[in-house]
Amino acid sequence: MAAAERRDDLGIEDGDDDDIDEHELRRQEEAYQRQYENEQTWDQLQEDEFGNLFVDKTAEQRERRKRLLSAAQSARIRKGMIRYLLLVIDLSRAASAQDLRPSRLGCMLSLCRSFVRKFFDQNPLSQLGIAVLRNGLVQQLSQLSGSPEAQVALLEPGKLGAASGDASLQNALDLSVSLLRPLPPYGTREVLLLFAALASCDPGSVLDSARSCRENNIRVSIVGVAAEVYVCRRITEDTGGSYGVALHEQHLQQLVMQHAAPPPATAAQARAELVRMGFPQRSTEDASSAVFVGSEARLAPGSYTCPRCRSRVPELPCACHTCGLTLISSPHLARSYHHLFPVPPYQEDSAEAATEASAVLGRRPAMQHEVEAGPTSGGPAAPYCFGCLREVAAPGQPGPLTLRCGGCRHVFCFECDAYVHEQLHNCPGCE
Amino acid sequence: VYTLSDLRDFGRKRGWCPYFLARHMMSFANVVVYNYQYMIDPKVSQMVSRELEKECVVVFDEAHNIDNVCIEALSVNLRKQTLEAAGRNLGRLNNSIRKAREADAARLQAEYNRLVQGLVAQGALRGGEEWLANPALPEDVVRETVPGNIRRAEHFMGFLARFLAFLRDKMAAPTVTSQSPTAFLQELQQRVQVDAKTLKFCYDRLGSLLKTLEIANTDEYTPIQLVADFATLVGTYSKGFAIIMEPYDERLPQVPDPVLQLSCLDASLAMKPVFSKFQSVVITSGTLSPIDLYPRILNFNPVAIQSFQMTLTRDCLCPVIVTRGADQMPMSTKFEMRSDPGVMRNYGRLLVELAAVVPDGIVAFFVSYRYMDQIISKWHDMGILQEIMQHKLIFIETQDVVETTLALDNFRRACDSGRGAVFLSVARGKVAEGIDFDRHYGRAVVMFGVPYQYTLSRILRARLEYLRETFQIKEADYLAFDAVRQAAQCMGRVIRSKADYGMMIFADKRYQRHDKRDKLPQWITRHLREAHMNLSTDMMVHVAREFLRSMAQPYDRGAVGKSLLSEAALAALEAAGGLEGAGAAGA
Repeated sequence: MAAAERRDDLGIEDGDDDDIDEHELRRQEEAYQRQYENEQTWDQLQEDEFGNLFVDKTAEQRERRKRLLSAAQSARIRKGMIRYLLLVIDLSRAASAQDLRPSRLGCMLSLCRSFVRKFFDQNPLSQLGIAVLRNGLVQQLSQLSGSPEAQVALLEPGKLGAASGDASLQNALDLSVSLLRPLPPYGTREVLLLFAALASCDPGSVLDSARSCRENNIRVSIVGVAAEVYVCRRITEDTGGSYGVALHEQHLQQLVMQHAAPPPATAAQARAELVRMGFPQRSTEDASSAVFVGSEARLAPGSYTCPRCRSRVPELPCACHTCGLTLISSPHLARSYHHLFPVPPYQEDSAEAATEASAVLGRRPAMQHEVEAGPTSGGPAAPYCFGCLREVAAPGQPGPLTLRCGGCRHVFCFECDAYVHEQLHNCPGCE
Repeated sequence: VYTLSDLRDFGRKRGWCPYFLARHMMSFANVVVYNYQYMIDPKVSQMVSRELEKECVVVFDEAHNIDNVCIEALSVNLRKQTLEAAGRNLGRLNNSIRKAREADAARLQAEYNRLVQGLVAQGALRGGEEWLANPALPEDVVRETVPGNIRRAEHFMGFLARFLAFLRDKMAAPTVTSQSPTAFLQELQQRVQVDAKTLKFCYDRLGSLLKTLEIANTDEYTPIQLVADFATLVGTYSKGFAIIMEPYDERLPQVPDPVLQLSCLDASLAMKPVFSKFQSVVITSGTLSPIDLYPRILNFNPVAIQSFQMTLTRDCLCPVIVTRGADQMPMSTKFEMRSDPGVMRNYGRLLVELAAVVPDGIVAFFVSYRYMDQIISKWHDMGILQEIMQHKLIFIETQDVVETTLALDNFRRACDSGRGAVFLSVARGKVAEGIDFDRHYGRAVVMFGVPYQYTLSRILRARLEYLRETFQIKEADYLAFDAVRQAAQCMGRVIRSKADYGMMIFADKRYQRHDKRDKLPQWITRHLREAHMNLSTDMMVHVAREFLRSMAQPYDRGAVGKSLLSEAALAALEAAGGLEGAGAAGA
C-alpha cells in the first residue's frame, strides 16, 4: 500500500456539518425520548367525583375480556387431562440481559415458579419435569413427577447458578424425545421452552429433531423472550405447538400462563381409552403408626396405601413406586372437571337485558324478597355486583364493564367475572 | 406457454430453427418480455426490434439504472489485446476474400449489388415514414448511399487496416489523453486520410461482408467487430462522447495496461429513438428517486409523473439513521475519517450490538471492496470479528463469483438451521444488484457509509462536466443522487412481501443532511420517524429490540382489506362513483 492513502474523491461532496440545524437535532432528540424513554405513568391517574384517585382501566379490561372469550370458544374441543410436560429453561448468556426487570433470568424463574404451581393446580393428574440449557448442553434438573413443591424449590436462582454459554435446541428436543417416548399414549406429551437466546448452536440439524418429535406425538411450544427466531417458528409449526414472543413482563406472564390450561387433544390422542387408577386410603397420623414410606423407605406416620400392591406412598397424586399404578384422590379429578365443562362466558349488560332479568328474578320465589326490598342486583336503578356487592355502572353508561350471567341473570363486575372464569370455575348465582 | 426445451422440441418436430422461430413470433405476440439491450443497444435492436409497431407500449421495469445501461450500450473499450486480435482477424478475412475471389468471383459482385439495391429498395418501400434503423445512423444518414471507397471488399479491408494502425499508434502514447470525437476525427483525417463519412458505415459493412463470406463462427471475429463499432460511433456522433486513452491503471502505475475508451456521456442518445418511435413509453421502478432528475438526464418531457405508496397493514419497515457511536463520536466513511481507528471501532461495535439483538440473518453493505478489506482486517485486530462470531457466523462477498455463490449458499444454510449469520458485501457488487434477502435471511440491513462512485475515474469526471454544461445538473447533486439510489437499492433487498419485516440502518452522519434524506424514495421516508433520525448505537439497540418484539406478534393476514379488494367491495366502490366518490361520501 502506498504510504499516504490516495484521495479518491473530488472533494465536491458533502459540505461541512455546520449546516445541520440545531433546532432540528433537538427536536429529534425529544421525539426519541418521547417515544422510547417516557416513563410518566402518573399521566394515567384521574380523580373521581369524591376526589379519590383511580386509574381508568377500561381498555385493559376489554382486552382481557377478549382473551377470556377466545379461551371460552375453545371449550367445546376435547382436551387432554393427563399431561406430561417438560419445562425447559434457557440459561444461555442471553438470559442475563437486563431488558426485562430485574434481569431476564430473574423474571423467567419467578414466572416458572408460579407456572409450576398453577400447572398442578389446574392439572392435578399431570406430571412435570424441568431441564435447563446452558453452555450448549441440556441438563435435566428433575424427573417427571407430580409434586409441585419439590420442583419449585429447584427453581431458585442461587441454586441454578449463572447463565452462560449457548443454547442448543436440538439437545433439548432430543432429551424430550428420550424422556417422553416411553410414556403411555393416553397422556399428552408436551414441551414448553422459554427461549431467551436468538440462535441455536446444535451438533446436527435441529429440524431433524423436530421431525422425530412430531413422530412421537410430542407437542413443542416455545415462548420467546427476545425476538422471533425462524427455527422456533418452524419447530412449533411442525409439532403443532404455539410460539409467542413477549413484549414486556406482563405479556410474558400471560404467554406462559396460557400453557397451564390443557391444549386441545390431537387426533392421535382422541381415541377413548380406559385408564386404570387407584384411590388409596389414608392411614392415621399417629406417631405410633409410623411405617417405611415410599421408594426411599423413610419413616413417616401419615401415608397412603396403594390398593393393588399395598405399598405405602407419601403423597398424592403420584405413581406407585412398586406397581406403577396412578394413584389419585377424588378432589383431583373434580379439579380437572372444569376443563371439560367450563362456565359459559357472561355477556355484556344492556338495558333490555336488565329489564328482562328483573322480570325473571322476580318470578323466582327465593329471590322475591330481594327484588322487592331495596337495591338488588336485578334492578336497573342502582345495580350491585352479585359476587362482591360493589356498585357497578348502569348498563349503557361509560365506565368499567358490567356483565350478566346467561343462566342466573345476575350482574357481576369485571373483577368477579375474571375470578369466576379463571379460578373459581363455578358461577355463584347458578349454584 | 413454451419453455426453452418445449421450443426446441417443437422446432425439432417441424424442422424449424427454434431461435428464428422465436424471433419471428415476436411480430405476432401480444406481450414481449426481454432485456433492455434488445431495445436500447443499437446493434441488437436493429435486428430484433425493428418490426415493432409504433402503437406499442414500452415499459421499462426496474429502470433506476437506465441511464447507466444507455451509456454502456454506446460505449466501447479497446485494449491492446483487442487490437492485436483484430489485426489477426483482418488477416484471416483477407485470406478468405482471396479464396472466395478465386472460387467465385461473381458472389462478391452480387454482394456489392445487393448492398446498393438494398438501400435503394428500403428507401422506396418505407416512403416517408421514419423507421428504427441502426440508431447510430440517424434518419438522414440512411438515405445516403454507401461511399464508393468501401464498396469493394478489398478496399474495405485496406481501410480497416489503416484505421487499426492509427489506433495502435494512439495506444502507444505514454500519457493520458482525452479528446472529443471531432478532435479525434481531425487527427484521423490528418494522419491516415480517413474521413468521418466512411467511418459511419463500418459496422454494417463488416456485418454484410461476414454474411457474404458465410462465416459461421462469428465470435472469433468479435475484436474486429468491436473496432468497427468504435469507428461507427465515432463517425456518427459529434457531441456527447469522449475518447480517453489511459496508458495504465492509476492504482498500479508501474504496470503498462493501455486502454482506449470511447465513453458515451449522454444517456439520452440511446433513448431518443425509443421515445421518437413508440407512442407510449413508461419508466418505472421501486427506487426512482428523486424522480424529477430522470427526465433531465434522459432529455424528455414526461406526460405524467406519479409516485405510489406501498399499502401496508402494519409498519413493517424501520429505517433508522445512526450518526454516532456509544461514545458520541460521529461515524462516517468520509474520506478524512475513513482510516480513523475510532470510527472503525464504532462501526464494529454497531455490528456487534446488532448481532446480539437481531435474530437470523443480517446483511451489511460497504462502500467499496478496498474499504471492506481495510475495515475487516482492522476489526480482526481489534477482536471484533470474534465477538460477532459468538452470536452469528460471518460470510463475505469477494470478487470471485464462485466463492460468493458458495458464501451465499452457506449463509442461507446458517439462517435456516438457527445458527444465524452476517453477510458482508459491497454496495455496487453483484449481490446488491440481484440477490434477495427476504424473510429470515435478512432481518436487518446495514449500509456502512454513503456509496459514492470512484470519483477520480476520468470517465466519471467527463460525464459530470458534460451534465453540468448541457443539463445544468450540479456535480454534487448528481453524485449524491447516484449514491442514495444505490443505498436504497441495497435496502430494498430485505422486504419482499407484506408479511415480511426488517430494520434498515443507515450508518453515516451524512444521511442526516437534507440533501441525502430528500433523495431517499418515498416508501422509506414515510416510515422514517423523527425519533429515528439521529441515533447513537445504544439508542439503536433499544429501537431494534422494540421493533422486533412488536413485529413478532401474530399478524392477521386476513386484515389486508386495505390493499386487496374482494369482488363485492369492488362493486360497492364502483357504485359509490369510483375512488373520489367514495372519498367524498366518507368525508
